[in-house]
Amino acid sequence: MLELLPQQLANGLALGSTYALVAMGLTLIFGVLLIPNFAHGELYMLGGFLTYAGVTAGLDFWLAAVLATVLVMGLGVLVDRITFKPLEQASGLSLMISALAMSIVLQQIATITWGTEPRTIPNPVPGILRTPFASLTYHKLLIIAVMVLGAVGLWAILNRTRLGLSIRAVSQNRDAALLMGIEMWKVRAATFAIGAAFGALAGALLGAAFPIYPTMGVIPVLKALVVLVLGGIGSIPGAILGGLLLGVAEVLIAGYISSELQDIGAFVILVAMLLVRPQGLFGRAQIER
Amino acid sequence: MTRKHLLAAAVAAAIAGQAGAAETVRIGELHPITGPASYYGLPESQAIRLAAEQINAAGGLDIGGETRMIEIVSGDTQASPTGGVAALRKLMADGVQIIIGPLSSGVAPALTPIIASADVVQIVDGSIAEGLTDGRRMFRNQATVGDYNLALERLAKARGYDSVAIMTDRFHAGFMESQDDLTAVFSEQGNAVVAEEYYKLGDTDFSGQLTTIAGADPDALIVRGYPSEGALITRQVRDLGYEGQIVWEMVSPPSTVMKNIDAATMEGVLNAIPPTTEDYLNLGNPRAIAMAEAYEATYGSVPGELAALSFDALHIVAAAIEKAGSIEPADIAGAMATLTAAEVPALINTYGAQEDGRLFDETGQVSLPGAVSVWQGEGWVPLTDLAAD
Repeated sequence: MLELLPQQLANGLALGSTYALVAMGLTLIFGVLLIPNFAHGELYMLGGFLTYAGVTAGLDFWLAAVLATVLVMGLGVLVDRITFKPLEQASGLSLMISALAMSIVLQQIATITWGTEPRTIPNPVPGILRTPFASLTYHKLLIIAVMVLGAVGLWAILNRTRLGLSIRAVSQNRDAALLMGIEMWKVRAATFAIGAAFGALAGALLGAAFPIYPTMGVIPVLKALVVLVLGGIGSIPGAILGGLLLGVAEVLIAGYISSELQDIGAFVILVAMLLVRPQGLFGRAQIER
Repeated sequence: MTRKHLLAAAVAAAIAGQAGAAETVRIGELHPITGPASYYGLPESQAIRLAAEQINAAGGLDIGGETRMIEIVSGDTQASPTGGVAALRKLMADGVQIIIGPLSSGVAPALTPIIASADVVQIVDGSIAEGLTDGRRMFRNQATVGDYNLALERLAKARGYDSVAIMTDRFHAGFMESQDDLTAVFSEQGNAVVAEEYYKLGDTDFSGQLTTIAGADPDALIVRGYPSEGALITRQVRDLGYEGQIVWEMVSPPSTVMKNIDAATMEGVLNAIPPTTEDYLNLGNPRAIAMAEAYEATYGSVPGELAALSFDALHIVAAAIEKAGSIEPADIAGAMATLTAAEVPALINTYGAQEDGRLFDETGQVSLPGAVSVWQGEGWVPLTDLAAD
């Protein structure tokens, strides 16, 4: 069985990269604005459907994916304006309920537009990379690459631009940032747009391998929440490492313990993390006085 | 006209409407019209409506000399036990006492205790889980999982597989409860089971399980569940370099299969299940052809693989009502238990008759033996010689 370990690790890294890609957008929005955007799964779903619509209209996959991402970025900003901005002063529970309502609205819009029948996009990068240790499809390698590039791009935006400085300032101390003259609406719009872009990219890429349907975002967003807890809520490195850890853990449990325990295993890890290190791997402990 | 007159007219109209509604026979159908199994459920629902429309157009049901039209009331199970129970309770609250369905083997066992204690008659047209019928109120015109497995066991024996691996949807009650029996038969036949792995409806990544299976390199990989996952499993295990025979055990509309895998990767995959609508069409069954033409004309699409079963179920219910001359569930059930295939001339499926000629055995189950098909080009083709590669 150990001879299969390199292949299982490669499988886990590929699966974990999909979790990390979805989780990065979710953690960015939560980390900066303290908004639990459960509608993130639907932005992921719309990324898949809009790419599908572009491809069926005759566009090249890459162009369709870029257009879908731009459209979903705009939609992300709109979701904030409709769902969360009016509840700025409300409790976290109200934000959560509002997010769930928007999630259902977006699912229904997709159902009315495209129906419930699953759709698929032709794989833009067919083929398999075979090595003596492991085999991975080019599509999985593409997802890993996009996850890495996305993380580097996000790091660059947050650490090398004035916009990123504003976002980090709001994340660290919202009131102080406002006193320093940072325009909150710009930070909100940028955070939602960037977060939505990660969801849309994930949807576009995964839609080329898996079926696209209106409720496809439900499970990934649940997994992303597990990733957030593992990595530390609001932490970008935490989202990446948490995603990869979860992916590897799920595959190793399925491969070496029992495939019947695959889902249970993920949530056992979640509970263990909450018991041992509630703030996650990279999260900061909150102390209430 | 005064306000009193208007009120009286409205009340009279309402009473007249109720009287009109009482003239129909309300038949409930429970299928996943939305959700992950809607590609099965919607065609089943539509086939039942088609059959009802045809019967109504031909003059309706003759119930003891009184003519009544059929009214179909739909319940959406969404392929989940919770959704199924809610949909059944709603149908029963609406006064429906004749139920066709459900499809999903994860849903059907959740409905059985409710139906067993209620004044309703049920005919299952989709689920293959064991133990759903009693021959008194609960019947089924679909095969059991045991019937499904027979074809699989014959195939494994005929081909002399030294080793097999099994990948099963762990939420499919029918497949899960028959897994031990199947592996026991394989072992007796000399088909060593080298791996048993599991997944669930809606999963998309199977790499952990499939790496283990590909590492064991069995002669055959048997995939039991639903076609979206079946196609993804087939694609992913081939990506991992597995070259053995892949055998499905699931109803698999080619349109659904082709959305998840290319035809070249599917080429040569086997499927061991009873004949489907498509098989009857390929065999030139005139009733299947007539149903398919009417279905396409009505809904603008080809009928699903299970549509023939649902179409048959409605005709069986209609024949039982006419034979009973009553719409009381107990009378319909009594008539259904004694029906012969000859008394339901519209049947598409070729059911094996019981020894005394009845359609159902004493447990309310039809005989519908499985067969093996092979994927060629863009669809399934019946396999006549099981031993041939």
